[in-house]
Amino acid sequence: MGVLASSERAAQRFVRRVGTWKDYAVSLVALLVVWEALSRMLPSYVLPPLEMVFGTILGLNFTHAYVTLLRVAVALLAAFGTGLVLATMMYLSRRAERYLMPIISLIMAVPAICWVLFAILWFREQELRVFFVLFAVCMPGYTIDILDGIKSVPFQLREVILVFRPTRYQLLRKLIFPSIVPNILTTWKVNLGLGIRVVTVAELVGTLTGVGYALNFALGNLSMREIMAWTVVLVISLLALQGLVHLIEAYALRWRK
Amino acid sequence: MIEVDKLRKVYEGPGRAVVAIEHLDFDVKDGEIVGIVGSTGCGKSTFLRIVMGIDAPTSGKVLIDGREPYRDYWHFRGKIAAVFQEDRLFPWRTALDNVRLGLEILGVPKSEQIARAKRWLDALGLGEFANSYPHQLSGGMRQRVALARALVLEPEVILLDEAFGHLDEVTSSRLRSDFLELVRREGITTLFVTHNLREALESTDRIVVFGRPAKVLADLRVEGQMNRDDVRERIYRLIEMNQPSGHITSV
Repeated sequence: MGVLASSERAAQRFVRRVGTWKDYAVSLVALLVVWEALSRMLPSYVLPPLEMVFGTILGLNFTHAYVTLLRVAVALLAAFGTGLVLATMMYLSRRAERYLMPIISLIMAVPAICWVLFAILWFREQELRVFFVLFAVCMPGYTIDILDGIKSVPFQLREVILVFRPTRYQLLRKLIFPSIVPNILTTWKVNLGLGIRVVTVAELVGTLTGVGYALNFALGNLSMREIMAWTVVLVISLLALQGLVHLIEAYALRWRK
Repeated sequence: MIEVDKLRKVYEGPGRAVVAIEHLDFDVKDGEIVGIVGSTGCGKSTFLRIVMGIDAPTSGKVLIDGREPYRDYWHFRGKIAAVFQEDRLFPWRTALDNVRLGLEILGVPKSEQIARAKRWLDALGLGEFANSYPHQLSGGMRQRVALARALVLEPEVILLDEAFGHLDEVTSSRLRSDFLELVRREGITTLFVTHNLREALESTDRIVVFGRPAKVLADLRVEGQMNRDDVRERIYRLIEMNQPSGHITSV
C-alpha cells in the first residue's frame, strides 16, 4: 500500500514535470553538448560539429523547405476534410460504416513506401505524386480517429440535446463537432509528424523539389553536414507546427480545467 | 395531460430479454407535480426516456395532450424539458450559452435567447456567473444552470430524473423548494423521479410508487396534514413486497 502510494506520487511528480519549457531546454542543451563532444571524436563525415551544421543551414536553399511544408499543409487539410466527411457519414449511416470501414482499414494497412511506388508508376506530375502519397497515408488516421471521437461523445450529453429535438445538422454542430475538437487536435499532432516523415520519402524518389529531393542531392554529394542541416530544419519545422497546434489547442480548449 | 396506457418496455439482450417496464397505467393532469419513487433499477429512468420521446415502448403508449412524444418528434419541440441527476452541462459552453442551448435549437433570435437566458440565470441567483465555464462553478451552481436550461424553454412538461440527488442535503432542499415554487407558479406539469421518499413527500402533489420491473404499486395523493413517517413506512413495505396495493389513496 505504502509502496503503491509512493509510486503514485512519483508518477504524479513525473507527469507534472514533463512538458515544461525548462525540461525541454535542459534536454536540448544536454543533447547539443553530447553531439559536440562526439563530433570532436568522430570524423566530420560521420558526425559534423555543430558549428559546421548551423553554418550550412544558413546557406541552404529554403525554397525546398517552403515547398515541403506547403505540400504537407495542402495534403493534410485535404485528408482531414475527407476524414471528417467520411467519419460523419459513417456515424450517420450504419450501412456507410459497414461498407467504408473495411476500405479505410485496407488503405491504412498499405505501407507508405508502396504508396510512393504506386504514385511514381501512376502519376507523371510530381505534385500529384506527393499529394497522393500523403493523402493515402494520413486520411485513414483522420477518419478513424474522428469516428472514434464521435462515437465516444457521452450518451448523457446526447440525451440532453435530444430532449430539445434538434435537426441532424444541429446535433452535429452543437454537440458532436464541439465534443470532438480534442480528438481532432490530437490527430493533427500525430499526422503532422507522420506527414513530415512521409513527404520526405515521397520527395526523395518522386520529385525534383522539396527537402526530400535536397536530402537525396546531399547524399549524392556524400555531404553529411548538409544531410544534418536539412534534418535540423525538418525537426524545427515539425516542432514549430506542433507548437502552432498547441496554441490553437490552448485557445480552442480554454474551457478545460 | 399525460396518459400512460398499458406501457411495457422490453430490452432484447444477447440470448435474453430484460423487462424494464412491465405494465404502467396512470394519468397526470396539467400542472400537477407527480413524484415517482421506486427501488434502483426499477425502470423509472426508462419511463422518463419514453416520456422525453428518445425511447419508444415495446407496447402500450404514452400520450401527452393526445400525442405520442416518441412518434411526433417535431410537435414536442420546446414543449418538454428535462433535468438529470448530473448537471450534464456542455463543458465548452459558458453558463449563459448552456442555458440558451434549447432556444438556439428552437431558432429563437439571438438577442432574445440572451435576454431570456440572463433572466433565468438571475432568477436562480447566477447572474454574475453567466460567462463562467462549468468547471469554474460549484456542483450546486451547475445544477442551477441545468434547471435554468430547462425552465428557459417555458415547457409544458418538465421531467426531473433524480435532479437534486447529487447535491448535499442543504443545497438540495433549498434548490428544490425554489425550483418547485417556480414550476407551480408557471403551472408546468412535472414528473419528479426520485429514490428519496422524504423529498417526494415534501415536494409533490402525488406519489406514484413503482415496483420492479416498473408497474404501479400505489398511487398516493399527498394532501393536507399527514404522518410522513407512516406514509414512508407504507411505501417502503410496498416496494419491498413488490405487490400492487390498488387505486389512488389520499394520505
